[in-house]
Amino acid sequence: MKKLLLVMLVAMMATSLFAAGGSEAGAAKAATLTIMQNKPEIGPQLEAYATQWGTANNVKVTVKSIGGTAGAMGPQLKADYAAGDMPDIFTFDGLESYKEWEGVVLDVSSEPWVSKTAVAFKYNNKVFGAPVAVEGWGMAYNADLLAKAGIDPKTLTNYAAYKAAFEKLDGMKAQLGINSVVSMAAAIEMGWVTAHHNFNSLLANGLPYGDLSVVNDLLAGKVDATRLSEYADWVELLFKFADKGVLTTGNYDSQVGAFATGKAVFLHQGNWTDPNIQGANATFKMAFAPHGSMKKATDGIFVAAPSFYAINKDSKNLAMAKKFIVDLVNTPAGHSYMVEAAGMIPAYSGISLQPTGQLSKSVQEWSAAGKVYSWSQYYFTGDFRDKTLNPIYNQFASGSINKAQFIDQMTKALVANKQ
Amino acid sequence: MNIKRENALVFWLFLAPVILAFVVVIVVPFFLGAYYSFTNWTSSARADSTVRFIGLENYIGSFKDPAFTYSFGVTVVYTFLNVIFINFVAFSLALLVTSKIKLRKIYRVGFFLPNLIGGLILGYIWQFLFNNALPSLGAVIPFLSDLAQPDNFILGKPATAVIALVIVGTWQYAGYIMMIYIAAIENVPAELHEAAMIDGASPFQRLRAITLPMAAQAFTVTMFLTLVQSFKQFDVNVSLTSGGPSTMFQGKPILGTELLALNIYNTAFLSNNLSMGQARAVIFFLVLAVVSLIQVSINKSKELEL
Repeated sequence: MKKLLLVMLVAMMATSLFAAGGSEAGAAKAATLTIMQNKPEIGPQLEAYATQWGTANNVKVTVKSIGGTAGAMGPQLKADYAAGDMPDIFTFDGLESYKEWEGVVLDVSSEPWVSKTAVAFKYNNKVFGAPVAVEGWGMAYNADLLAKAGIDPKTLTNYAAYKAAFEKLDGMKAQLGINSVVSMAAAIEMGWVTAHHNFNSLLANGLPYGDLSVVNDLLAGKVDATRLSEYADWVELLFKFADKGVLTTGNYDSQVGAFATGKAVFLHQGNWTDPNIQGANATFKMAFAPHGSMKKATDGIFVAAPSFYAINKDSKNLAMAKKFIVDLVNTPAGHSYMVEAAGMIPAYSGISLQPTGQLSKSVQEWSAAGKVYSWSQYYFTGDFRDKTLNPIYNQFASGSINKAQFIDQMTKALVANKQ
Repeated sequence: MNIKRENALVFWLFLAPVILAFVVVIVVPFFLGAYYSFTNWTSSARADSTVRFIGLENYIGSFKDPAFTYSFGVTVVYTFLNVIFINFVAFSLALLVTSKIKLRKIYRVGFFLPNLIGGLILGYIWQFLFNNALPSLGAVIPFLSDLAQPDNFILGKPATAVIALVIVGTWQYAGYIMMIYIAAIENVPAELHEAAMIDGASPFQRLRAITLPMAAQAFTVTMFLTLVQSFKQFDVNVSLTSGGPSTMFQGKPILGTELLALNIYNTAFLSNNLSMGQARAVIFFLVLAVVSLIQVSINKSKELEL
């Protein structure tokens, strides 16, 4: 009797193991499409659109949204890659992350949407990424406060103009009811503001769109001392007129919050802050002004696609993955998702909808006027930006190093980064 | 089949699911990881991503990186402070709630509660307290006006930010350790205390001569738990300081409160250098294993047998 029990026990355990393996193989037969993207804030909207699209096309679409600071989606993508479970469509932000996934990104040069966008991701004259949206940053300003102080935002195009404006505003703090002139963040967790966005002023400000001369020089370890020293003046100016608490220890909420509640005249951020500012019930008029990182006038803001959809070359549903992006660009439902639901600035022509956020509108105006500069920070590795540059900005902000040391450290870091 | 063999078979059969899980999620990854630490593995589709054996390069590179050596040092300091603080606070709390104080059951629950909050959330709560609540307090109370100065923010300087990590770590973990001490203190036979009281021993003498030696077994456990917990601290580190603020070490600007676990994570996923992160994890494991073995053997030698 006991023997029989034992045999049954063994048999049960063995079958349960097989059963566990079997059921998974059965479920994989239905057509599925997995999308992984890096903007959790628009995750629910994309999911809603994808489900609707999936029902119409008889595909089960799964959307995974993983965001946050640099590299947040990277670990998951690497785990999935190691497990042989890569998503069919995933997003990447630029050259360095493209190189990370070079082996699996499909060449989409012949897709119908390529002719409709100016900002597709290209490498070696081939198109590899469909832009998710267009984003831009500059110095967001509170137009009401500037008007009160008698400053015309149109004059803010170079270092001298900003210095004069900042000093004037600083003297009118009580009158304007502000805590500081600029809302700037340089804590380690805010390294993407300093070592990514602000760093781009050094790389691209005042150059024709797509001009990589400065980037290539810096990557080769050649540092233009004049350009860097003018840039250091600009960084010093931003740090000097910022609220020190927000600057050294603040997070995204405290930085954007200070601007949204009218406690700061300028905000060093991009148009993605629109929903946050609206959420804080801000009623004042706002728009972008250029960065003043140079002595010469630089009349434009930084506009580009923040990330691109890549199609996994090894996807089992290549046709469906391609169709998903084509439909996003070509159908009214796709337009409505991008512009109305997600509030993004579309990166494609032939879309008549307009985003409602004030800063997004401002980006569109600068863009329409052709006054735009590139995003070149992605030509530098995440390692260099987050682990080498970020601490330098952080120390300059906290005052543990001065401007001369900042220039020295930046030069050393750039020379050491030579490839 | 005789009874002995049958028993052995049943024994292993019941153990099989656990052993299987242990092998699949602990043993295999451990040795795979150790293997990858000697290669240039990246787990990405780079053009040159074939896995190559590169010997000790990752280990040598780790020790040459000032950020790693600094991280090692700051982790040791943090662990030392944290172990002392947590055990001191936990033992004091345990004495408090095993005394005849009113509402002691409620206190027990209250002190234990922070342990039920996830470390990430805890970090954000305390970040708000350090960055917003304390300065506002300073702005209102003239006596504390120094707190409102951004230069004095606790998270603004590496040294004080480490203290902040210790405060949050203690707040999170002391309640849990307190529970272990409570069990130990309540297990001390009452007749020892009675006899001592008849002999006229003061409460402090009884604590030193009876409670502490009798609780020595608990100390072995709590010291081990706090040591390992502090060494592996990650979530509070991420949410409270993200490794900041920055400091200078060997002439290089680096993160000032980046504990080892965070350094390993950043190396693997921020710098996209998985195999070097893996090498650091192996070093981390070896150091932690040696240190905790030493700690347990020292503590064991002080335990009493009744």
